[in-house]
Parts: sequence; C-alpha cells; structure tokens
Amino acid sequence: MGGHADEGKGSVSRRGFLKSAGVAAAATSLIDDAKKAMEPVGPAPAAAVRGETEIRFKLNGKETVAKVPPSMTLLELLRERLDMTGTKQVCDRGACGACTVHLDGRTVNSCLLLAMDATGRDVTTVEGLAVGDRLHPVQQGFVEEDAMQCGFCTPGMVMSCAALLAKNPAPTRAECAEGISGNICRCGTYLNIFRAMDRASALAKGGK
Amino acid sequence: MKDFTYVLPKDAAEAARAAAAPNCALKGAGTDLVDRMKEGVTRPDTVVNLLTATDLRSPIREENGRIVMGGAITLAEVAESELIRKVAPGLADAAAEAATPQIRNRGTVAGNLCQRPRCWYFRNDTYACSKKGGETCYSIEGENKYHAIFENVTCNIVHPSNLAPILQVLGGTLHVVTAKGTDVVPSDIAVKDFWVRPEEDISRENILVAGQVIREVSFPIPRGTTGSSYVETREKASFDWALTSCAAALTLEGGKIASASVVLSSVAPTPLQLEAVEKWLVGKAPSDALFREAGTKATDGATPMRDNAYKITLTAVVVRRALSAAAARATGGGK
Ligand SMILES: Cc1cc2nc3c(=O)[nH]c(=O)nc-3n(C[C@H](O)[C@H](O)[C@H](O)COP(=O)(O)OP(=O)(O)OC[C@H]3O[C@@H](n4cnc5c(N)ncnc54)[C@H](O)[C@@H]3O)c2cc1C
Ligand code: FES
Ligand code: FES
Repeated sequence: MGGHADEGKGSVSRRGFLKSAGVAAAATSLIDDAKKAMEPVGPAPAAAVRGETEIRFKLNGKETVAKVPPSMTLLELLRERLDMTGTKQVCDRGACGACTVHLDGRTVNSCLLLAMDATGRDVTTVEGLAVGDRLHPVQQGFVEEDAMQCGFCTPGMVMSCAALLAKNPAPTRAECAEGISGNICRCGTYLNIFRAMDRASALAKGGK
Repeated sequence: MKDFTYVLPKDAAEAARAAAAPNCALKGAGTDLVDRMKEGVTRPDTVVNLLTATDLRSPIREENGRIVMGGAITLAEVAESELIRKVAPGLADAAAEAATPQIRNRGTVAGNLCQRPRCWYFRNDTYACSKKGGETCYSIEGENKYHAIFENVTCNIVHPSNLAPILQVLGGTLHVVTAKGTDVVPSDIAVKDFWVRPEEDISRENILVAGQVIREVSFPIPRGTTGSSYVETREKASFDWALTSCAAALTLEGGKIASASVVLSSVAPTPLQLEAVEKWLVGKAPSDALFREAGTKATDGATPMRDNAYKITLTAVVVRRALSAAAARATGGGK
C-alpha cells in the first residue's frame, strides 16, 4: 500500500494546529472543541508532529537532545547536526552497510532510520567504541591486521564486527562472514577483516 | 525527501484512523518506504509510524493451536525464534535469508509482506511506468533480467517478499483492522487471498486500502507429519532479493504424500500456488526423481522475456530443493 493518489492536507494534530493557527481561529476552534466534547464523539486523534521537533536519545552513553524534522535520517542528524562524521554515507539506501550503527545493541542502517525513531533508544556509533585512549578490541584488531584500504567501509564493518563479538566471543570464519554480510568492501579487505576478528576475539579474552 | 506530518499512534486502532487521511503512508521500520521517499517515487503528506503502536509488537507466541505475532515483529525476531524454528523452520529460513543483518534487525513482518516491488523502472522516478499511472511497462522492451517469467502480461514485477510464499504455504492469516469513520473494525484475510494481480489493479500488489493496518499475523501449527521449507536462489550470498524462490509443505502418511502445498515466488507479480503440481504429487511416494519431475512441471507455461529465461532452470531447482527439504522434515517428524 503506497501513498494514496490524491494530494491533500495531511492530518494535523490538535496541538500542532493550535500552534500554527491565529489566536482568533484557535479560540473559535476551542469553543467548537468544547461543544463537541459535550456530544458523544469519536476518540481523540493520535499524536502528530511536523517540522523541527525535539527528540531525546542516548548517543554513545550520553543523554542527547536534538531538533529534527520527521524526514531527517539518523545518519543526517549524526553527520550534519551533531558533527559525528565517523559514520559514513555511501549508498544512502540500505545497500552497503557503511552507515551501520548500533540501536539498542543491534546493527542497523542509519541511512534508513528516521532520526525520530531513535527517540528514547540507545545509539552507539564508531566514536563510542573506544574507552578513552584504549581502542575497542575490534578496532585494535583492524589496526594490527591492516584490515582496511580506503577505509570508507571500515566504521560500518567495525560496528558489525563489534556487535558480533558482543554476541559471540569466538566466532568461526563462517559466523564472521555472516556477521559482516550486511557490509560491502569495494577494496576487498575481507580476508584481513577475518584475521582482525580472530585478533579481536583473542584480545577480548585478555590474550596477547 | 519531502517533509511530512509524522503521526505517532499508540495502537493499531489509532493508526488505522490516522491512515484514512488523504495521501498518507503507513510506515513500519521504513526500510522500504524511506527508500521510495528518497527516490521521490512515494511522496506522502502524512506518515503513520506503526512502531509506536504497542499492539503491533505483540510477541511471537502459541495461541489455540496457532502461532501468532504482531505485525511489527522483526525479521530477525522471526529468524531467531526457537518456537518458529521448531514448528515452521521454513519460515525461520525465509526470514534469515532475507536482506542483510541490519535490515532484518529492523524490517517488520507486515512491512515485508507489503514492501513494494523492486522493478527498477517502478523504483526510478524518471520512468512514468504503468504501475505509477503511466502508459508503458518499460520492462517489456527494456532490461528484464529480474522480471517475471509467469503472468507477465501488463506489468512484469515479481513479488519481492521472502515471507509471502512460506506464510501462504503455512495457511497464514493477516489480522487487519479497518477504520470506518471513528469505528475500527477487525477482520481476517487469508494470505492466499491477499494478493492483487496487475490485471486486477496495476497500482497495487495487495488488497489493503487506506485506513487498514495489519495488526497481527498468524498461522496454524503444522501437524507432526507435515514438513515445511523455503528455498531461494540469489546472485550474491547476501543483500540480494531472490532470483527464484519456492516454499513447500508436504504431509506424509504411510510413506505417501497425503497433501502438498507449493508456492513459487520471485517469478510472477504475485506468489503463485502450483495447484497442478500439488495434485500430481498427492498419493506418490517422495523421491528425488519425483521432485525433479515436479520441478520441471513447475515451469510449464513459463513465458520468459529477453533476459530472464535462466529463471526457468532456477525455478525447477528451487522446487526440487524445497520439496526434498519438506519431505525430509516430514519424515524426520520435524515439521
Ligand atoms: C538491501 C536490501 C535487501 C533486501 N533483500 C530482501 C530479500 O532478500 N527478501 C525480502 O523479503 N526482502 C528484502 N528486503 C526488503 C526488506 O525485507 C523490507 O524492506 C522490510 O521487510 C520491510 O519492512 P519495514 O518494516 O521496513 O517496511 P516499511 O518500509 O515500513 O513498509 C513497507 C510497506 O509496507 C506497508 N506496511 C508496513 N507495515 C504495515 C502494516 N502493519 N499494515 C499495513 N501495511 C504496512 C507500508 O505502508 C509500506 O508500503 C531488502 C531490503 C534491502 C534494503
Ligand atoms: S549508506 Fe546506509 S547502507 Fe549504504
Ligand atoms: S577499505 Fe575501501 S571499501 Fe573497504
């Protein structure tokens, strides 16, 4: 079911309508509303927002407040308004994985996630993995095993690998391949990424 | 992306009422809708966010001999559900093989069934194709490698959903709510009756109309002697939609096939129930030779176009593999 053909005004929330309409109109509408409230009418419409709207969510462990229009993706919010450019934009259509972040611990494409849908959720980006100067085991593994060439897929790859490692501390090659099956590397660094994952797994266990 | 009013309903009833607004789109996770909005193929003034409707998140559970789940349960939740893996492994496989981990972590069951086709002419704003109200189906003369080999007459899309054929084979039901004025009325739609062929209405792929929301999805728990399966072929091991796919359920009694349900997808505008093949299978003993022949029969009447005759071979392959897997599960007492 797509959009319906005829152009028309979208439904506007009562609150939104009162805000945008003039005082006189609002007053009339309030009287109308009061009249209507006396009659047995239908239930109140669902909440609705339009234009710049405040959202709150946790970003890399920090409570974050931002203003976004409903049409803004989390990727745009991160890169263009919060100056967090670690997360990359490549296809912008869910078809490459460069924009991968964690939403409540699970990998998602931030290019297809409306920022408003992150409301109240826990978002982790590649900037949130290191603890102070100490790299996350996956990051350390990527450095030691030279698991990147141009580096454009790397933040997304690292996020997928980190999510996998959190779930499965010693993944097999096949499990690693499945774990990064939503990330494409144009430079073909996959073999080094598998080595980096072995290394990360050892580091996470406290190995050398 | 054009700006829009974002409605945040608390339940399916509020969502259905809001969705009766003109030029309005329902949104699950948005992995299909947001893509179309970025392309400018879909330009809603109002978007209703089904993720805030708590009843669409009702968990995967057993209820009166059925498996029931909210319409906004994710593909990952289906793939990881031990209950579904146990009673209908074909459904778990279909969910696990769709898209990528990132998409499965968000994409919803109802959104998967209602996702719009991947035809590159349809999804490209510059082509005023017949599905978008234009005069021409560009795939007839154009690039049609991924298009239909059956029922390709007026519009050659293929149905893109992994869950559609297996839910049809399992005898699934969509529990829908419909806004009628301020009233909201529940009704049930069998998955097999859900699809709309281009010849019936070229502008849509299913029977839902404005003001209708899929609240829950369910299917009867198959009997112990029934096995179900889902098999697909793809160009890449990940990311890609299927080239051909087949879902099957076989019930075995006394070493013979007592009943069969076989549905092809990715080869026609809607999932295709292979009734002739099903009739032919009943009463016969399962064997590789039988399933091979069934695969060939499944391709009867195919009308490939310039670039997609390869799909005939790949159709026979998925039918044979799906039947073998279903039979193995039925004999293993394994669903
Ligand atoms: C790279 C990539 C690869 C993919 N590969 C596959 C694949 O191999 N197999 C496959 O099956 N899919 C594949 N997909 C598609 C993906 O599975 C779907 O996009 C996803 O399941 C849709 O769910 P959603 O919640 O995001 O839907 P949305 O985008 O939110 O909605 C999709 C449509 O469904 C409607 N809708 C959503 N929920 C409801 C409801 N409750 N009631 C009524 N209508 C509703 C919406 O109005 C909209 O028209 C792929 C997607 C991508 C990006
Ligand atoms: S930029 Fe999001 S998947 Fe490619
Ligand atoms: S390192 Fe260049 S795309 Fe992966």
